[in-house]
Amino acid sequence: MDPAEVEFLAEKETVKIIPNFSLDKVYLIGGDLGPFNPGLPVDVPVWLALNLKQRQKCRIVPPAWMDVDKLEEMRDLERKEDAFMPVPSPHYMELTKLLLNYASDNIPKADEIRTLVKDIWDTRVAKLRLSADSFITQAEAHAKLDNLTLMEINTIRSFFLDSLNCMYKLRSNMQPSGDSKGHFNDY
Amino acid sequence: MPCERKPMRYGHSEGHTEVCFDDSGKYIVTSGNDGDVRIWEGLDDDDPRFITVGEKVHSLALKNERLVTAGSSNTVQIHTFPDGEPDGILTRFTTNATHVAFNSSGSKVAAGSSDFLVKVVEVSDSSRQKTLRGHEAPVLSVTFDPKDHFLASASCDGSVVVWDIEEQTQVISWPLLQKTNDVTNATSLCRLAWQPAAAQFLAVPVGTSVHLYERDSWNHVSSLSDDLLTQPVNVVAWSPCGRFLAAGAVGGLMVVWDVSSKACVERQKHEKGFTVCCLAWHTSGRQLAYTDTEGRLGLLDGLATSSTTDSAKPAAAVTKPAAKDYDDLFDDDDDDGALMDEGLSDTRSPVKKTPAAAAAEQDDVDDEDFLMPSTGRIRNRGAILDDENSMDTGSLRLSQDRLLDDRDDGAAGPPAAPPPSAPLRPAYDGPLPTPPQKAFQPGSTPAHLTHRFMMWNSVGIVRSYDDEQDNAIDVEFHDTAVHHAMHLSNSLGHTVADVSQEAVLLACPATDELASKLHCLHFSSWDTNKEWMVDLPKDEDVKALCLGQGWAAVATSALMLRLFSVGGVQKEMFSLPGPVVCMAAHGEQLLIVYHRATGFNGDQALGVQLLRLGNRKRQLINGEPLPLSHKSYLSWLGFTAEGTPCYVDSDGVVRMLNRSLGNTWTPLCNTRDTCKSKSDHYWVVGIHENPQQLRCIPCKGSRYPPTLPRPAVAILPFKLPLCQTTTEKGQMEEQYWRSVLFHNHYNFLLSSGYEIDEDGQTQSQKEQKELLLKMFALSCKMDREFRCVELAEMMTHNVVTLAIRYASRSRRMALAERLNELAMEKASHLQEEEQKQQQEEEEEEPEYSRRRSGFSQSGGRDGGSRHTQEGDGEVVEEEEEEEEEEGEGEREEMNGHEEDAEECVEPRKRANPFAKDPVSPVKPSLTPIAKMGRSNPFKVQGSSSSSQPRMSNILDKMTSNRKSVPLSSSSGKPNKGPVLKPLAPRPKTKTQSTLLQMSGTKTASKKEKSADQQKQAEAPPPTSPADDTENKRPKTGFQLWLEENRKSITDEQPDMDETDVIKEAMGRFRTLSAEERLSWTERAKGQPGDAADLKKRKRAAEGGGAEEKGQAEGDGSSAKKKKAVDPSSKLAAFAFGKN
Repeated sequence: MDPAEVEFLAEKETVKIIPNFSLDKVYLIGGDLGPFNPGLPVDVPVWLALNLKQRQKCRIVPPAWMDVDKLEEMRDLERKEDAFMPVPSPHYMELTKLLLNYASDNIPKADEIRTLVKDIWDTRVAKLRLSADSFITQAEAHAKLDNLTLMEINTIRSFFLDSLNCMYKLRSNMQPSGDSKGHFNDY
Repeated sequence: MPCERKPMRYGHSEGHTEVCFDDSGKYIVTSGNDGDVRIWEGLDDDDPRFITVGEKVHSLALKNERLVTAGSSNTVQIHTFPDGEPDGILTRFTTNATHVAFNSSGSKVAAGSSDFLVKVVEVSDSSRQKTLRGHEAPVLSVTFDPKDHFLASASCDGSVVVWDIEEQTQVISWPLLQKTNDVTNATSLCRLAWQPAAAQFLAVPVGTSVHLYERDSWNHVSSLSDDLLTQPVNVVAWSPCGRFLAAGAVGGLMVVWDVSSKACVERQKHEKGFTVCCLAWHTSGRQLAYTDTEGRLGLLDGLATSSTTDSAKPAAAVTKPAAKDYDDLFDDDDDDGALMDEGLSDTRSPVKKTPAAAAAEQDDVDDEDFLMPSTGRIRNRGAILDDENSMDTGSLRLSQDRLLDDRDDGAAGPPAAPPPSAPLRPAYDGPLPTPPQKAFQPGSTPAHLTHRFMMWNSVGIVRSYDDEQDNAIDVEFHDTAVHHAMHLSNSLGHTVADVSQEAVLLACPATDELASKLHCLHFSSWDTNKEWMVDLPKDEDVKALCLGQGWAAVATSALMLRLFSVGGVQKEMFSLPGPVVCMAAHGEQLLIVYHRATGFNGDQALGVQLLRLGNRKRQLINGEPLPLSHKSYLSWLGFTAEGTPCYVDSDGVVRMLNRSLGNTWTPLCNTRDTCKSKSDHYWVVGIHENPQQLRCIPCKGSRYPPTLPRPAVAILPFKLPLCQTTTEKGQMEEQYWRSVLFHNHYNFLLSSGYEIDEDGQTQSQKEQKELLLKMFALSCKMDREFRCVELAEMMTHNVVTLAIRYASRSRRMALAERLNELAMEKASHLQEEEQKQQQEEEEEEPEYSRRRSGFSQSGGRDGGSRHTQEGDGEVVEEEEEEEEEEGEGEREEMNGHEEDAEECVEPRKRANPFAKDPVSPVKPSLTPIAKMGRSNPFKVQGSSSSSQPRMSNILDKMTSNRKSVPLSSSSGKPNKGPVLKPLAPRPKTKTQSTLLQMSGTKTASKKEKSADQQKQAEAPPPTSPADDTENKRPKTGFQLWLEENRKSITDEQPDMDETDVIKEAMGRFRTLSAEERLSWTERAKGQPGDAADLKKRKRAAEGGGAEEKGQAEGDGSSAKKKKAVDPSSKLAAFAFGKN
């Protein structure tokens, strides 16, 4: 899976918008949207919100967690703890990126938020690398991935799996071939 | 004799600003961030001379016609004064200088700089300069010893140093200040001041107090402080006589002390609470100029410090503060209120009590007087009231001041004035009048805010910005389809606004020169002039305004209401019974709320007028009192989107006009119930009845939202404050009455000729029926039969039949019996009404009645008001009744039967001879379909029958009575007319037949419908009266006439086709006199319709076997019908029989 696909999935999340047009309910396969009343907040998927925003048909109301104070708190917690902390949204990174790219004028303190989310992301990815490292050095058989988001898993998956495969190959070449089956199962 | 705080004026652009007087005291000289030095001849000087010195001026000093400025280019420059000629550069630093000061003779200038140095330069010879080194951070300020021996400076390194100028050494250094790295970060500018003349004290602002250091000994002799001083002192300045010391603080407080007594002589607050950054005394000592960090210039005039009669002074010093404290207190109160509303009350409110305490110390008797109002609820409320409404000083303050004035007048200026209320209070102990609330625009935030909403309604938002950079108004529309956003400069100072789909209306109060103006941006105008402006007469201010559809209303301070068209034509005007509070408009309606009288004990006495403008002008509510919660005031007024007047009071109670209960006001909900904290409020922006929505903005810790960040609208539900809404019964009652209440607007809209959302109406009617039945079932379960009957009385006729069935099924015979009586009563009542209606109709002209019945058809079908169902509805009911009876015996055949009906629809339509009739294309035949949202026009009948299962399911669920399905299916047809026609079927059918002859035949829609219905059951048997109707119906007066006259028409115009002939005939028939036409219709009545009979047979043949089956059924039913003298009782019996 590449990041674009993850982003695509993230676009299914809902976000509040304040439309500046009026439209009756829209009946879509994925569910009904609207009705849209000018000036009245309504929940729509991110893809629609961004589309409307780009056509200047709405203002986006940033999600509650997209707030400097809350993110700071989260970042501090994330830095303090060794384990992964729960994130505000399963697609926090993608949503931040999408919303800040297209609707930064509707989000107060957009730059700070961008930095904070990047901080949280960096902290988490660093943790992920660290745990991947210890996973390999200690030759563990399984790992817990609590509170990891799809995007985070996705960043490390291809590299991780490839390298494990590679290591497996190297190991199986070193060892008598009889053992290899058992090892293979480990991974 | 309090000093006068002159209103502040714009001096320079935002930023550090300095001020000084020239030696003669004639000019005020200021310098600011814009790099200009301005020379004002007085505070009112609108065109000051200016000298451009550089990009910025950090500091300014003036003496002996020399103007020394510390500019942005790291230099200290000299200019001549007042000519402003450059006179060279005095000295340079490596960074900018921060403060410059002259010595007392004006021969030397001291300059402190951000490069840690202090330089002392001879004005006459700039090469002779001394540099004082030793500070470890930028220098904040410098001051000369009047005797020219020492120099004091303060620095960001926290030290205040006294230097010996000659020796260039530090005499003493005190670590007094907070350390910072730069002047801009310093909490205080720490402008030092050396006492003039005597040169005895050096005043140093330290924190919230001012330290006095004695010369030579350099001891800290005393500190001056004040209870109100809660923020750091920025600047101090000695009066020219050296007896008084003025201090200006962060937060805008200015205090003047008498240094010898350490008593506070004067206490003033900056009108906007900005930081005071420079103070300058006039040489006379009577005036004190000050500037703030926002570039504004202010002046305190008439300071008591000029008189130097020492003996009188102490006494005066005591009394004056006392008097002053009153004013201060009130001033503060206003400010507090403002701050409180901005959510800063926590920092300010403790302060509020301190002056009261201070005053109490000074004068024990004052004690109560001060504490009472400052803590009392009324007082606080008053302050809030003020802020929300005021453009000028608060009403409450006025009343308080009046009290004070009374006291002053009465006491005739004794040196120590007695407290005001001590003598007053015994005189009057009754309820106190409430200060009347100020006029306001619903949906606006207080006028004193620099950024505020002037209007937020369902159309758009008007915001105003009034800061130094920009004085502008932004108009933004929720729906950009209305108009794009607008940005206007607010040069006139508009304070009230309204916005509608057609225009933006703005108004400003009168100023000294200009009259109050009304400014309309009529953006929907189709010509090129999109704007108009009207001046109000002199001494008349706009207090409130609103925009309706095509008109604007303006209420003025002269108790006048003026109407304008939206294009600017002046229209009616009338006097208001009292000062306006606010107004709202919707369509043709205008709602005005005004002060009816003086309220007491915190209550407002408001009156309300509701007018209808437009073509049918009339007053709907004339000056009735507006009910408000106790001790609250009006906070929002408006209409629902559907046009029902509503308002919200400051306690958060939303009330709506109940037009069906004699224009009473019903509370809908209390917004405060949903607030989490006591200080949270909801700021209402709109109310919708369908769907039921209260649109408002949640405000945390305040009553209104800030403009930034942009607030988001939330939706609250309504909840009528009925009793015991936790119980099931209470809940249902609440739902029922809410539904009824929110249903009212349909009747209103209908009566005023607007289109209504029919789906919504049927929906809410259905909801009400369901709720009634649920409540009925609940009461049944609880053995409350009396209550059941009461509920049944609220039901419509067909719901009562369901109730009867429910009662009988649950073996409550007595109840069923009673309900039966009730049902009969209702039916007879209905019938009476109908008959009345029909009689009226018969008297009317045939054409009119036709039109009317055409209308009633659509109305009746969609469940319009009761009296609209007549004629065709009648027939349908008749039919349904029969169907029901059929259903009794041959329920299984029901479905097939209905299918037949559907099949027959189409051929019948075609075969219908009147389909070609020029009158029949009158659209109503199709309107019901369109309204029902059906796309297939041939499903007219199908729609009614196919909707049966749906309805029956719902009703069935409610009654949980499976067995009644077939019955309810017929009764649940969407034509809301009663299903049963229990009384005297014969006479009714008679009237009906005449009706049908006269009108029914001509309206195709009606005919189709009734024919379709009738065909099912009673096509052939000639004995049935209904059948007579059927056979006769096609023959009308017009037809007979047409038969006779067709020839003449075709002769005249032989090339006409059939429809044209009929059209022509129609026109001719219309030109006949009423009597003639009547005679034709009489003839038609008397004559059995042969032709129609023929056609009928033809149709029957087309209908095929199904028709025959229908006939057979019809036979059976008609036979039964003869027996059924009272169908309703029969139904009851049937229902009993079911069990």
